[in-house]
Amino acid sequence: MVEIADVGIDAAALSTREINAMIRSGLQGGATEISIKNPNARHNLAVALLQAGRVRFQGSVGYYCGGLIDGAEIQVEGSAGWGLAESMKDGHVIVQEGAGNGAAAAIRGGTVVIYGDAAARLGVSMKGGVVLVGGDCGYMAGFMGQKGTLVVCGNTGHAFADSMYATTCYVGGTVGNLGTDAVVEPLAPEEAEMLDRLLAEHLPPAVRAEKPAGRDFTKVVSGRKLWNFDKHNWKAWQDAL
Amino acid sequence: MCGILGYFRKTTATDHQLGATMLSMLQALGRRGPDSAGVALVGPAHRAAYIVRVQAGDELEMTKHAIAANRQAIQSFAGTLDGASDLSANGLYVRFVLAGQLDLPALTAAIESLGEGIEVLSIGHAMELAKEVGTPNLLESKHHISAFAGSHGIGHTRLCTESIVDLSHSQPFWGRGAADVAIVHNGHITNYHQLRRKYEQRGVRFVTENDSEVLAVYLAESLNRGATLHQSLDGVLRDMDGAFSCLAVTATEMGFVKDPYAFKPLVVAETDEFVAVATEEIAIRSAIPGDYKVSEAQVEEVRVWSR
Repeated sequence: MVEIADVGIDAAALSTREINAMIRSGLQGGATEISIKNPNARHNLAVALLQAGRVRFQGSVGYYCGGLIDGAEIQVEGSAGWGLAESMKDGHVIVQEGAGNGAAAAIRGGTVVIYGDAAARLGVSMKGGVVLVGGDCGYMAGFMGQKGTLVVCGNTGHAFADSMYATTCYVGGTVGNLGTDAVVEPLAPEEAEMLDRLLAEHLPPAVRAEKPAGRDFTKVVSGRKLWNFDKHNWKAWQDAL
Repeated sequence: MCGILGYFRKTTATDHQLGATMLSMLQALGRRGPDSAGVALVGPAHRAAYIVRVQAGDELEMTKHAIAANRQAIQSFAGTLDGASDLSANGLYVRFVLAGQLDLPALTAAIESLGEGIEVLSIGHAMELAKEVGTPNLLESKHHISAFAGSHGIGHTRLCTESIVDLSHSQPFWGRGAADVAIVHNGHITNYHQLRRKYEQRGVRFVTENDSEVLAVYLAESLNRGATLHQSLDGVLRDMDGAFSCLAVTATEMGFVKDPYAFKPLVVAETDEFVAVATEEIAIRSAIPGDYKVSEAQVEEVRVWSR
């Protein structure tokens, strides 16, 4: 098999459309890795990539990076703005610093890893996949999550896991406060092992070393009280956000 | 939309790059707000005097002749004041320096009664406010903000979603009646009418229909009562409803407050040398080279930097 050289792109003088077209054609051409210099926190980079392959941003990205992708691996050597990997079907998105609001919102599969903190509305309406945050997350993470796994190694903001269907959440630090119908459930030994494996696989050793052990995570799931309307539980509906 | 930004130099009171940095940040946020652009910049303090900036009218609403008459009236009035110096006019604006202790509300009222469409834009020992309907580049061509040296400042690019597009409704807003106070705001204050009614019953005059103005009125009143900027921004969280990312400056401070629902973006970068706050990270990265981290502000977060 012919080894195809890495493709390097300098984003500084290119339009967003040109950058995305070059990433797409590079992946289609079989490049092993596309690296992009000077992303400069611009919006809509590497969106809707429908093929596998590695894309590496040497700096911060703006809004919606990696949104709607199916199978690519995207590494951000900086921070990300709002809507990181939004509605991703499959793929692997890694952010080495923090992410803005709505990271991993509505993902259907794949893995989103944020080494630093995530802001508000992390993983809202997830329909599958795994979200792993090394630091803290903001307000309303996991809201209306339907499926998938949401792991926060640090503390959460308030209204955590509000009105969920069936996302499973694990928190290494303190839960700011639980959202409507979110309940804490005992952590099974195999879940603690799963968390240890997940953190070891996705976080660099130095970062992993600072995080809690799998057994020290708190598990939060849906109390399922909002799945069906119950007139005797009217208070919960009034409080639901 | 709308874009807001702030820059605060920690290491020196006179950063000769302040204006240029702020202009680059504004340009990067230009797409978020094509309607107008403005800045409130804090320079070296004229300790015993005030810098007064007055808008003579608005080209969209008035004839050139009427604006020229207003400008003449303001200049003549300034000439009659004891301790007035450095009188200059630039387009729609008249600027002068006034020594001594002033009754700011009385001076403001006296200037604004000189003619229809006259508005005092800012009064302060160190702060100067400039805004234009149009792009950051237009603001630069008319006011040369890139040449401004100082310690900190805030800026705004506006996408109008309420009221009207004109100079008066553009941001920043001066905290009328309080020296060196200005705000920029991205969002909507949903209890604006209620708050405005309350203030108007007490005799406060609003000069626009823009909901953001109530933040300036609120902070000016709070600071004049003796509250700190931090306490005043905490008060915004208590008394205002809606979506807000708001930045404010005083002569020595810059701070922000973010609403309880994270409706509006705001990111922060802080090093030993500077603090940069903006609606989007692209504004900070475009303006400031180097290695630093940028992170999203949290809901209900209030932060203040001072010198």
